[in-house]
Order: sequence, then structure tokens, then C-alpha cells
Amino acid sequence: MKKSFKALFLTTAVTASLLGGCSGSSSSPAPGDGASYTIGIGQFAAHGSLDNCREGFLLGLAEEGIVEGQNLTVLYENSQADGGIASQIITNFASQKVDLICGIATPMAQTAYGVGKRQDIPVIFTAVTDPAAAELANADGTPVGEITGTSDKLPVTQQLQMIRTMLPDAKTIGIIYTTSEVNSLSTIEEYKAASGDYGFEIVDIGISTTADVPLAADSLLEKVDCVTNLTDNTVVASLPVILDKAARKNIPVFGSEIEQVKIGCLAAMGLDYIDLGKQTGRMAAAVLKGEKKASEMNYEVIEEAAFYGNTKVAENLGITIPEELTSSAKELFTDIDQ
Amino acid sequence: MTLLLGVLEEGLIYGVMALGVYITYKILDFPDLSVDSTFPMGAALTASALLAGIHPAATLLLSFGAGALAGCATGFIHVKLKVRDLLSGIIVMTGLYSLNLRFAGGRANVPVFTQDTIFENQFLADHIPQWLSPYTMALILFLIIAVCKVLLDLYLNTRSGYLLRAVGDNESLVTSLAKDKGMVKILGLAIANGFSALAGSIYCQHKGFFEISVGTGTIVIGLASVIIGIQLLCPENGTSFLNSLKLPQVRPTTAVIAGSVVYKACISLAISLGMEANDLKLITSILFLVILVVSTERRKKVKSHA
Amino acid sequence: MLELNNISKYYNTGTVNEMCLFQDFNLSVEEGQFVSVVGSNGSGKTSMLNIICGSIPVDSGTIYIGNENITDMPEFKRQRRIGRVYQNPAMGTCPHMTILENMALADNKGKFFNLRPGTDKKRVDSYRESLSSLGLGLEDKLHVKVGVLSGGQRQAMALLMSTMTPIQFLILDEHTAALDPKTAETIMELTGRVVKEKKLTTIMVTHNLRYAVEYGDRLLMMHQGQAVMDEIGEKKAAIRIEDLLERFNAISIECGN
Repeated sequence: MKKSFKALFLTTAVTASLLGGCSGSSSSPAPGDGASYTIGIGQFAAHGSLDNCREGFLLGLAEEGIVEGQNLTVLYENSQADGGIASQIITNFASQKVDLICGIATPMAQTAYGVGKRQDIPVIFTAVTDPAAAELANADGTPVGEITGTSDKLPVTQQLQMIRTMLPDAKTIGIIYTTSEVNSLSTIEEYKAASGDYGFEIVDIGISTTADVPLAADSLLEKVDCVTNLTDNTVVASLPVILDKAARKNIPVFGSEIEQVKIGCLAAMGLDYIDLGKQTGRMAAAVLKGEKKASEMNYEVIEEAAFYGNTKVAENLGITIPEELTSSAKELFTDIDQ
Repeated sequence: MTLLLGVLEEGLIYGVMALGVYITYKILDFPDLSVDSTFPMGAALTASALLAGIHPAATLLLSFGAGALAGCATGFIHVKLKVRDLLSGIIVMTGLYSLNLRFAGGRANVPVFTQDTIFENQFLADHIPQWLSPYTMALILFLIIAVCKVLLDLYLNTRSGYLLRAVGDNESLVTSLAKDKGMVKILGLAIANGFSALAGSIYCQHKGFFEISVGTGTIVIGLASVIIGIQLLCPENGTSFLNSLKLPQVRPTTAVIAGSVVYKACISLAISLGMEANDLKLITSILFLVILVVSTERRKKVKSHA
Repeated sequence: MLELNNISKYYNTGTVNEMCLFQDFNLSVEEGQFVSVVGSNGSGKTSMLNIICGSIPVDSGTIYIGNENITDMPEFKRQRRIGRVYQNPAMGTCPHMTILENMALADNKGKFFNLRPGTDKKRVDSYRESLSSLGLGLEDKLHVKVGVLSGGQRQAMALLMSTMTPIQFLILDEHTAALDPKTAETIMELTGRVVKEKKLTTIMVTHNLRYAVEYGDRLLMMHQGQAVMDEIGEKKAAIRIEDLLERFNAISIECGN
């Protein structure tokens, strides 16, 4: 008797601590004219580009006049890469009868779709590299249901073109990727298919955990003229290690998005995740306002990649970034952000 | 209502796995970490099997069988190769991670949204009336877990089941009965991991996709479910609040399933309150510690009995 | 019946702590004999039991039961013909299972542990009967978990359980040592009765010299891996506690204690 009470008490205590730790992530909209909306944003993991996506998403909504705090209530949850938590987050959104769920990154988008289709809640996804492979869209890009969004597919050919422009004599490009990351696998395939057109050979090396990165980098750097990076979560997290080793051997490392160039990649033809988010936000706004249904919009990709360069890195390597690239650069960094 | 239904569904899915953890942790007294990999293994095999056109119900059996094999592997490593229990589980867990990726056709994420599952198929579409459809998933889950629970209860009361309980309770008695205690342990681990993989199969069909990360923390959920359930509903040598309400004592298997639902409810509550997943892990570990401290009391008692 | 031939057993072989426990140890026990074994600590009494049961391997020598060589047979297989009661009452029962379940477990020894019901309803009355013969009132507590019983009650059950199915050998490993004098007496009487009723070949290790004198038809005194005293039949019957004590003292002086 006493013991079960103790257990009950302790459970209550923990629940109470949960209550105490409650942080107000939702803000009520101020009364205003017109309709007000509630949306749930589920983000799969904490990650620079995914955070940018979310930020852009809200900006995109705001551009269309749906502003957080005014006529929009945002419920935001991050599952920290835990699938079980992800599904509880979405169920939670559904129970609060949100008008729309935004799923950031593939597993979260899939969870949202699985739950959303039962609850008639439209889903907008972003940062899904291959929506068709994830069965979030048909192969021809048409929606599979009340779900659409944007893909963060890397502009592989433009990246290859850029590398060729910067390193006219390079023959091999090295790529480190995590074997369990589905997006990396499909991007590697794309690189291999397109590399011949630009006179490159791809040398790829698979890892399974962060701990494998240093060894993989050492081995790869023996064989290649330059390295390019994907948006592979595990590798990106260990990017400083790769950059350090590459710098010692004077081998350039290319990035795949702005954040990577900021911390020391030479250059990238990359996506601006804020732009991607904005584009997604505008699609969400159309659905919320009832202008279009999610099932009437094909998923979208960013057509034009932007050039990002780091002149400091170029200087260290003794490379001059060609004028044709710098002139069209979206952003040039002059320092390495540690 | 949606939330309650969601919690119930989650709880019942993980409840199947918790039945397995109940076998290893409570009955065998074996800290088996392999469930962390047999759960995604069930999910991976199910995704591939569904894509290959195998009947959804058959994938449940397939997963259970494969999980049982993995359990045998853990048992074999521990019993025959004399590796410590915790390490045997870790070895299998690590190895299966790679194998699971292969089972899933080399992909870390396999969607099965378009395939028939035990929750969505023509038969159900034809036979389930409209008003019942929001509850279909919960009902099917309830049915599956009820079958698992009843079968496990029945099994634990067979001669073989007696032996399983005896080996966790007093290994030397099993030897005295002229039975190989190692084989009994292997059997127990097989059943436990069978349940874990079965839960993974149900999870995959419920969510509509397989993801390599689904196994993360399975053991924690399982242990939490077992300990919460047992402590609340049928504590050792004690009376639960059920008795004070003049309700009959429930079987441990029922308690474990209830524990899983309670655990998921706690998580859901925490999410509703705006906790971040970062903090959730801390809360889970605190909850876990609290429960373990409570159950240490029990352990002391067991020692004093010995 | 039981034969230990030229048994050698060393501990910590190849280290400075190497210790010889048995060297060329021989023992033969006739069918139906009740052997009481006494000896000081470390004299090899319990090790001898462990060697017979297969709990520890021998370095050389052979063990026969009947005409069968069981030297390399794993412990659990030997137990088919052996019943063993340990010093620790907790070793012979399952604390988290009920009295009835424990009895059923013991009753199934030697049968297949398959998917038939663990407790055969038809056997319950006979369990109740044998429990009531203990005179401890356990027959009314069939659904009570064994963990809540006292040490003496558990030891009584352990004795009952180990002799429930037909066995050739009963091994008693200081089985009264952890009990209070009164309970020890009860258990010892019970032991005598069971052994007589079932005509069991028995080896009993004990520190209680009185039990060694009163029970059994053969007395063995162990010292440094050797039987320094081995009396059978009438000679055994003539031994008094004082004789044993004297002998003990003599050994101790030899050792310089």
C-alpha cells in the first residue's frame, strides 16, 4: 500500500516538474479582422538548415499576411531525431485541431502524412530531398493526397559546374556520407551519374557514426583532388574535423549550403534554406486561405542555386575565385566563422 | 479525444514490446538491450515484406519469428560464448543496426503509405462501418495485444513457462530439475525479442513507413512501462491502489500494458505542456530514476529473502 | 553404486597460489548407504559433493554411477538421478512462485517441460498430502509465494521437492547449518524419515557431530582431501561424539593449530 502510494507520489512529482518546466511556445493571436489560424510545425531534428527552414516558413506566411501573434498561432515541436516522439508530437497537433501541419525533414513529414490523412488535416512539408521516394508525392510530382511542399534536393549539376570552373585541373571529387541517411544515398547516385559530363570521377566513402569521420577523412584525402559535401547530418556535424584535415593537405572542400561555407568550406552552389522556407510558407498560406488545396499543388524545388564563397579559405588555399562566380555570388564571406 | 486515442494507440503498440521486456527484465532478470534493435528489425522486415506483396498479417508472424531468432543470438552469445548479459545485448544491438539497413533494402527510410496494412486494407474498408472508422486502429491494436497477452499468460502457466519463471528466480533449481538453464534463458530471450519485433512490425504499419531511428530508446520505454505498470498495479508482496478501491488484482502482463499507456500519456502531457524534446529526454531519465529508486526497495527485499 | 576413482583436483593451477584439494581420492558408496561426512573447513567436503554433482570439473579421475561413467556429463544431466539440498534454504525453491507451483515444478522433474499445464490439477491433492506430512501447515498455503516462508519452511520444502521424483542419490550439503536448533532438529528428523521411506542412497555433509553420529550407517571424516576416518555398520554405530572430537583435536595438533 505504502509503496504504491510512494510510486504514485513520485509520478505526481515528476508530472508537477513537467508542469513547472512548461514553456510557452505558443502565443495567442491578438483579436483582429479576418480569419485566424493555428498551425503545428514539427521539426525532426535541431540543425542549422532545418532551423532556417522554419524561420523562412514563418516569413513566407507573413508575406501573405498570416503573421504569428496576429492571426496565426504556431505550435512548434522538435523531436530531436526520435521517431517515437515525432509521432506523439503530430498526434498532439491533430488533437488540438490545427488547420495545417508543417513537417520539416523526411521522417517528420511522413509521420505528419500518416496521421494527417486520417484526421483530414493538410500537410505541408519542407526539407524533404526526394518526396517521391518517401511516398509523399507521386513520381511525376503530383500530390498523393492533402500533402505538398518543397524539396531541398541539391543542385548537383550546378555544383559540379562550379567546381569545374574553380578547379580546371581537378579529376576526382571525394564525398563522405552516412550509409543510413537515405537523402545522401540518392544524392551520391546523382553525383555519380552527372560527374562524367564534367570530367570528374566520384570517390565516395560511407560511414555509420560520427566516430568514423576522422578515419574516413584521412583515407579519402589520400585519393582525391577536392571534397564536396552533402547535407548529410552526421557528416555536417563533424565538418570541422574534415576541414581541418583537408586544410593541412591543401585540399579544397566544397559545401552544399551557406552554413557550411561560413565555417570554412571554399564555396557552394547551394540552397538558401530561408528561401526554401519562404517558398513553403507561401504554399501553406494558399492552403490556409483556401485558395488552393494541398492536393492541387505539385511539390516544388528551388530551381536556381545561389553561389556562396569564402575568400579567406580561397586565400589560404592559394586559389582565386573566378570573377564570373563572385559577380553572381549571393554572399561572400571574408572570414572563417569558428 | 484524438489525443486520448493517439496515446492509447501508441501505448498499445509499445505495450507489445513491453511484454517482451517484462519477460527479460522481470522474469529472466536479464538486462536485454537487443530490443533496441529487434524493434526496428520488425519494422524493416515489415516494410520490405509489404513492398514484396506479402500479406500484412503474415508480416506480423514473420517479424515475431525474426525477432525470436535475434533473441536466440543474444542468448547464444551469453550462454554458450559466456559473454556478460549486458554485453551480449549490445553486441546483437550493434550488429543488427547494419543488418536492419539491409533488411530494408539498404535504405534508412522506407515508406509503405500505398501498401495494404493490417490497419488499412480492402477487407476493413468493406466491413467497418463509417462511424467506427476513427476507432479501427485502436480496436485492431487492442485485439492484437489482447491475443499476445492471453497467449503469454497461458504460456507462463505451462510446464515450459514454469521453467522460464524458475530460471529468473533461482537458476540452481532449474539445474536441480535436470534442465539446462542456458537453453531456458535462450528461449525466454527469443520470446521477448519476438514480441519486440512484432511491436516494430505494428509500428511500421501504423505509421506508414520504416525509419532506421525508430529503435532509439526502445529499451527505455519498455523498462519504464514494465516498472510503472508493476509498481502501480501489482507491486510485489503489496497491495496496489486497486485493492483499496476493492478492485481485483490484475495480472502483471495487464499491468505492463497499462504501464506503457501511462508512459505514453506522460510524454504526451509533457509535449502538450510545451516541453521540448531535449527536455523530454531528461524528464524520461528522471522518471526512470524515480521508478528505479522505488523498485530498489523491492530488490532489497528480494535480497533479504535470499 | 557411486564410485570416485583417483580423483585429482587443483585450484589456481599454474600460479603461486596453486592448491591441491584432492590427489588420488577414492570413494565408493554402496546402494542404500547413508553416509555422514564431517571435517574441518577446507577439508574438501563440499568440493566432493560439487565434484559428484558436476558443479566443478575434475582434473583427472573418473566418476561412476552404477556402471555409467558420468565424469564428463554436464551438471544438469547428472541431476536427473540426483536430488540436492543446499545449506542456503533459498537455493532449493523459487521465491516468486507459489508453493503449489514449486511443488508442480519439482514433480515434473524428468518429464518434458512442454506446453501442458504447469500444474496438473489431479496432483494437487497428493501435493497437499505430502506437505501436510511436514506438519508445518504449508498445505493450507498452496497459493502463497515461497518467498514469504521462513528458512525452515523453505528448507523442508526443498527437501520434499528434491526427493519427490524417483532419484538414485540424495546429496545434503550442510542442509541444517543455516537453521535455528529447533528447526534444524525438525528438518533432520524429516530427512531421516524420507531417506528411510524412499530407501535413498544419501551423502550428508554436516558440522553437527551429533547428527553425524545419530544418522547414517557410515561415517567419513575428511581432512586435507583425504578420508582420515571411514567407519561402516556396527563400528559406525559404536562411535560417540567424544571420539570424533578427540580425532578432530588430534588432526588439529598435527596441523600445528
